[in-house]
Amino acid sequence: MPAQDPQSLRDLGKRLDEAQAKHAVRKTAPPQTSMGIAFRFATELVAALVVGGAFGWGVDWLLGYFGIHTRPVFLIVFFLLGAAAGIRGVMRAAQEINAGMAGQGPSVADDDEEG
Amino acid sequence: MALNPMEQFEVKPLIEQPLLHIAGHPIFFTNQALLMIIVTVASALFLTFAMSRRALVPSRTQSMAEMSYEFVAGMLNSAAGEDGLKFFPFVFTIFMFVLFSNFFGMIPGSFTVTSQIAVTFALASLVILTVIVVGFAKHGIGFLRLFVPHAPLPLLFLLVPIELISFLTRPISLSVRLFANMLAGHTMLAVFGGFVVLLGGAGGILSVLSLAPMALIVAIMLLELLVAFLQAYVFAILTCIYLNEALHLHDHH
Repeated sequence: MPAQDPQSLRDLGKRLDEAQAKHAVRKTAPPQTSMGIAFRFATELVAALVVGGAFGWGVDWLLGYFGIHTRPVFLIVFFLLGAAAGIRGVMRAAQEINAGMAGQGPSVADDDEEG
Repeated sequence: MALNPMEQFEVKPLIEQPLLHIAGHPIFFTNQALLMIIVTVASALFLTFAMSRRALVPSRTQSMAEMSYEFVAGMLNSAAGEDGLKFFPFVFTIFMFVLFSNFFGMIPGSFTVTSQIAVTFALASLVILTVIVVGFAKHGIGFLRLFVPHAPLPLLFLLVPIELISFLTRPISLSVRLFANMLAGHTMLAVFGGFVVLLGGAGGILSVLSLAPMALIVAIMLLELLVAFLQAYVFAILTCIYLNEALHLHDHH
């Protein structure tokens, strides 16, 4: 692509963009089916619980391997953390879906921890 | 057993003899392998054929190919910014593979590749591994800042593990979502198909009633076509979002 286009070309480009926007192929997020949204939330939540539980179980197993018996402690702790991560994932997904429905396209919802 | 709705998901070897042995495990050529080859070849052929004439005024096929290109490029650009476009071939390949798998699965009697967790999990792992490699390549050890949100220090002891778990959740939620959607839809179709057979064989007034589930199947089939596209879209857009995080960490462009 050349660094500087002549002005007329740029005008043409702009007019082309406008013309295309009129006949726009849908480029923003297509509408989600309710079942799709439900699946999204369910998988976020369940997957986080499973990962959290498995992670805690692994930590317990690893420590037990070295002779430190913590057995249910880390499982419980990480299961709860997994629940928190799951809720966070659902909230993030909800933000993304809301942003999509507001017609802003499939842009990423801002992280909620800022500010 | 034509009435078993789960029978359609069975992976069966098509050739009795195993192709080769890897570490003592026989490797068969299965219906799944066949469909994956068909899907890959079909998507490559479709794009090559559609773009072969390169007409200025595109034919229908050509504009379908151009639309899918622009759709993915636009999605990648809005989710991951200009420098995300480097990953266009990756995202486009994944999108086309999932889309064609889903659509080929809609042909009655065929096999849905994406209804196998092994396939979707392999795809999701590929995405997450790419994200990790890209993140470390671009930011070095600073990529780990992704797991450290802006928060007071004492809270970080709680938040860092949560962020870590939430990151590890991605390959699972990504793969389970696609697999579960396909599984649910196709099972539903088979169950209603079973109703048609049962009612139709019952005779009398019940045979007439079998038209009701038949009509429902047509409606579900249409819904499933939408889901087939939507799930390919969701898979691709989430790939873009994860790539964006690897490229830009917390600062959203």
